[in-house]
Amino acid sequence: MSTQDIAPMTSRERVLAALRREPVDRTPVCNPTSVATVELMDLVDAPFPDANRKAELMARLAATSYTELGFDTVMPVFTIIQESSALGCKIQWEKKDNWPTVRMTEPIWSEPEDIKIPADFMDHPDTRCVIDAIKILRKELGDDVAIIGKTMGPWSQGYHCFGVERFLLMSRDDPDKTKRCLDRLKDLTVAYGIAQFEAGADAVTLPDHATGDLVSGQYYDRYLLDLHTEFVERIPGPIILHICGRTVDRMDSIARTGMSAFHYDSKNGAQESMDVVKDRIALVGNINNPQTLFARGPEEVRKEVYENLDAGIHMVGPECAIPLQTSIENLKEIPLAVKDWHKQHAAKH
Amino acid sequence: MAQLADVTNEFIREEIEEYIQRPDEIERIVELFARVSPKMQDIAAAIIEGEDDVADELTQQALADGVDALEIMDDGLIAGMSIVGIKFREAYIFVPEVLACARAMKAGMAYIEPILSAAGVESQGTVIMGTVKGDLHDIGKNLCIMMLRGAGFTVHDLGVDVGEDTFIDAVEEHGAPILGMSALLTTTMPNMGKTIEAFIDADLREDVKIMVGGAPVTQEFADDMGADGYGKDALSCVALAKSLMQEVKAESA
Repeated sequence: MSTQDIAPMTSRERVLAALRREPVDRTPVCNPTSVATVELMDLVDAPFPDANRKAELMARLAATSYTELGFDTVMPVFTIIQESSALGCKIQWEKKDNWPTVRMTEPIWSEPEDIKIPADFMDHPDTRCVIDAIKILRKELGDDVAIIGKTMGPWSQGYHCFGVERFLLMSRDDPDKTKRCLDRLKDLTVAYGIAQFEAGADAVTLPDHATGDLVSGQYYDRYLLDLHTEFVERIPGPIILHICGRTVDRMDSIARTGMSAFHYDSKNGAQESMDVVKDRIALVGNINNPQTLFARGPEEVRKEVYENLDAGIHMVGPECAIPLQTSIENLKEIPLAVKDWHKQHAAKH
Repeated sequence: MAQLADVTNEFIREEIEEYIQRPDEIERIVELFARVSPKMQDIAAAIIEGEDDVADELTQQALADGVDALEIMDDGLIAGMSIVGIKFREAYIFVPEVLACARAMKAGMAYIEPILSAAGVESQGTVIMGTVKGDLHDIGKNLCIMMLRGAGFTVHDLGVDVGEDTFIDAVEEHGAPILGMSALLTTTMPNMGKTIEAFIDADLREDVKIMVGGAPVTQEFADDMGADGYGKDALSCVALAKSLMQEVKAESA
């Protein structure tokens, strides 16, 4: 991506340009999932689980990504369970040092016909607080920083509502039934995405975990390629698709959806990923969480940032939601390393 | 040495030809299937195809014909899963297909387990298994447990979202020489390290071999956390458990 002769940009301008794969003054540091940590919760007195359920705390914790860490984005939706809670899934909210999670062993649906979206879905406290948090962030941070929302894809929602094992078996045993499920869930993804743009989001992350750790690339083509293309047409703003794990075998298909960006995992090499997508979609990632950000130091973080920048990755950030015990020092190293790389790069030219 | 042509079941011959590349594995699998009876090959084929109704029917029929339950388990059900495991490891098949194969194996094991249990077959060792605190994913863990039980281990499944104290209590209660921990999320993987630290704090670390696994877990992470071993998949988990049991026996000899 070209960075020469570009006037200084705000974080928001930088991110929006990168999402369009246009020139930027420097590579943005982006957080499409979550960089919430226990340290940050303590710093602004916005602990889990309340920071996932109360808009003011959610916004306060999300803002630290910009104000404390120096990222170019804020992301108030730390979890992947807000919609599931509104749909009636049992949630284990946990405490400050653990992620809330859906009790997928207690599924709420077993057949496509069971899928019923509650009339008050958008007014449920756990979906509403995201909308309110985005509004607070826009009001308090103005246009300086990019606000990213999150709307769950139907495949991931299927795991939550049908149970992972049952949903995966269904996808193997009965493709038609699986497609009916996805079809009945897709409007939820669209509606929640639109609501977040209306509240002031600049982009939304769309997690849809059809990962190579679980299903083949053929499954992505069979079940999700058309749906993801449809989301691009129906959701009025940039979408960042997030799929964990090994995904290189489906990145060509992902690049064909028209999504603005793909948030990719450290199981995929930066260069091999760029070679596959060939500038048809922006890539975001892929600093390793458990080994590098959690267990190593700034030097190792910097090395991975440089690998991404050397490969021409459009936005740099952690590969996925980070462990809550990750150190602030390691997270701060990401924007510092990006800035240093660009200084060194500019000096060479 | 057995030849591929010695395997009578055409489907299994094709599976070996198409999906197994490593010479040592080809030799081992061909030897295995060349030795086992056509009936057991049929059961193995049902497992590989993920046909639970066929596995159910053939297992019942084999027992009715007087075939030994242990032979059905080893030469039919587990033999089939050995090809499934290789296909999964090499990414020819993925989790939905493996789940269907496991469902077929469970269908057969439903008849075999009560017989083996009543016969009092000697255990290979006791293993405590669980998914770490904060993580509710259990597919991989359950596959490992099924394969461990098939390999003759006594397994106590603690389920999901298991805290350090529960792991410690279970290891102490059952006197288990091996503990297996699973995690699917990068956000919960650190809880493997916390659990291992808890064993150190309780002065029990030397009493148990700890193995870890799960999609995002790597050998490097396992080493960082101080685990004794890492299993990439269910087949590796069984091989690792066997190896750790040998270490336990050697250390206590």
